[in-house]
Amino acid sequence: MTQAIADVLIIGAGASGAAVAWSLADTRMRIVCLEQGGWMNPADYPSTRRDWEPRQWTDYAISPNVRRLPADYPINDTDSPIAIANYNAVGGGTILYSAHFPRFHPSDFRVRSLDGVAADWPISYADLEPYFAHNDHHTGVAGLAGDPAYPPHEPPLPHVPLGLMGETMGRGFNALGWHWWPSDTAIATREHEGRDRCANLGPCNTGCAKGAKSSADVTYWPLALRAGVELRTHCRVREITVGANGMARGVIYYDEHGVEQRQDAEVVIVACNGVGTPRLLLNSVSPLFPNGLANRSGLVGRNLMLHPWGNVQGVFDAPLASHYGPQGSCMLSQQFYETDVSRGFVRGYNMQIVRGNGPIATARAAMWNGQLPWGEGHHAAFAKLYDRTINLGICCEDLPEAHNTVTLDPDLTDSNGIPAPKITYRLSDNSRRMLEHGLAHGAEVMRAAGATHIDAVGPIRMAGWHLLGTARMGSDSETSVVNEWGRSHDVRNLFIVDGSVFVTSGGVNPTTTLQAVALYIADRIKQNLANLFD
Amino acid sequence: MPTRDHLIGTDAVLTTSQRRAFDCVLDLIVPPSPDGRMPGATDVDVLHYLLESEPASMPTLRGELNRLETDAQLRFGAAFADLDPHARQRLVNSLRLDDPHFLRGLALHTVTCYYQHDRVLAALGIEPRAPYPLGYEVKSGDLSLLDPVRRRGRIWRDAGDGTAGPAA
Repeated sequence: MTQAIADVLIIGAGASGAAVAWSLADTRMRIVCLEQGGWMNPADYPSTRRDWEPRQWTDYAISPNVRRLPADYPINDTDSPIAIANYNAVGGGTILYSAHFPRFHPSDFRVRSLDGVAADWPISYADLEPYFAHNDHHTGVAGLAGDPAYPPHEPPLPHVPLGLMGETMGRGFNALGWHWWPSDTAIATREHEGRDRCANLGPCNTGCAKGAKSSADVTYWPLALRAGVELRTHCRVREITVGANGMARGVIYYDEHGVEQRQDAEVVIVACNGVGTPRLLLNSVSPLFPNGLANRSGLVGRNLMLHPWGNVQGVFDAPLASHYGPQGSCMLSQQFYETDVSRGFVRGYNMQIVRGNGPIATARAAMWNGQLPWGEGHHAAFAKLYDRTINLGICCEDLPEAHNTVTLDPDLTDSNGIPAPKITYRLSDNSRRMLEHGLAHGAEVMRAAGATHIDAVGPIRMAGWHLLGTARMGSDSETSVVNEWGRSHDVRNLFIVDGSVFVTSGGVNPTTTLQAVALYIADRIKQNLANLFD
Repeated sequence: MPTRDHLIGTDAVLTTSQRRAFDCVLDLIVPPSPDGRMPGATDVDVLHYLLESEPASMPTLRGELNRLETDAQLRFGAAFADLDPHARQRLVNSLRLDDPHFLRGLALHTVTCYYQHDRVLAALGIEPRAPYPLGYEVKSGDLSLLDPVRRRGRIWRDAGDGTAGPAA
């Protein structure tokens, strides 16, 4: 069945799709968005129930291969030391993200010029700065102005509480003379744009029942819907179709009843992120594009970047109330963010202070790593761990390498029979050296803060949250998939606005940069409407 | 879902010998604390939790309990539950030494059940409630701790892109 033609068709209702939908809505064009998941009901989030902790390993697991919900598609990530995380719903991955929201640095867009590696972006921090500011306002970003690791900016909301745990780590960083700062966080710490303030429920990474965490379903989507955007849920796109003129014609998708539908559009915008986007393009084969849509460069699915992640856990002698408060957001250190070649690697990493675990996660993790014995020593060992742990995440900048790929699995399919993605990924030597440095220095600051027992582990397998680089932007059609404003070099009415357009990965959680890029592209589309396809 | 009494009364889920061994293993994993403050895992109905939340674990569990029973008979000529506590511990230790996965799933499920039980949470001084809607109080923190960071000044790198900021 064919639906009435849309002016703009957006595929994916996550962080970038939501931002683009909102931005383009003021053009009064007919905008349709297709999302394979549904709307979340905050009343169902785990934090509303007594069994809130174990659900992070079942129906709210970060891996679609564990959740296996109807909206999920399987991902073959067996050929990667890092498993892929995502969430399929209105809001996408922001439903489960920690809302740790640091921006990329100016240097992140100039790695070739500054450090002689990878490639420069065709846009700069200065280009994105106004869009970062827009995004801070619309998402409701909490933070503290004056961070010397960043160009000046003013987070609109007060920082999330540090707690005793944050103060403890602050003293540790100070003892070493290292940078730290309350992190920019996409959490409403006071009422903002009709949303309630954070009540420190804790488990942000299984959805926020208060609506204080700025997932895209509670930020951009209400605004976009009020402005007239049509959002169709439980609609899974199989392929983007092309006409004889080489332009995208629209998509074929399966509706919530599994019935095949067709939606034509003047402009198609892909917002499925670094795994979903190349999967869709590679599934969209035609005589004009036998190797996948927009893939004449052969780069669709290549240069996958995942941010190798390390975790350092410190155990302290005194109670820290460390598991109360927004779980993944408190403070960061960018002492080792910018390049210093004397460290043995180029580029750098972010240290993200993460709160301690609840009682179940404390017990399970400690039992797994041998800290919590069976038998008579059990209770004493638990008492030494619970409420006395602090975690520190090491987020390493991952440089693009063509052999790290998203391809189509020859056998695996989703519930609609659409070929599933296959991940092939190896850590580079640079990433390994960076991760080792991060784990060692994470342990050092834990000791300085007073930790009496420290475990440093990496790369963490279940940490493939950041999916970047698989349809990168650039001015040269031989070395990039889209141009500097997200338009495909090969298909002039096809745009990509998600993490797959990232040229490099930076060393921080990418969501605010991803949304700033999406808003930037949307603005460029609006500025060029009269000659968009020239 | 059958009731707990039904399960125990009819051995519909575990045989009598499996059930006796099961309770002994729970007692090895999390015994009551000597001062009586903390209950043991046998006090928090782990079996009901397994049936409700982890039913896929039951075939493995039955096999592991059978293995305990078989080895107890072979080595000691007695049922696992009839061994003295030290012999039970030695037997379990030797099996876990041979196979680190032996009873690992049960141990993880046991602590998952145990540390959400009202009696356990109360003993730990944790309010037995969902985080929502009340949430928790967390102190904002002493921002004067940032003074040394401010004094050291800018550390971000100039990329030559015109981004404005104080001199490095």
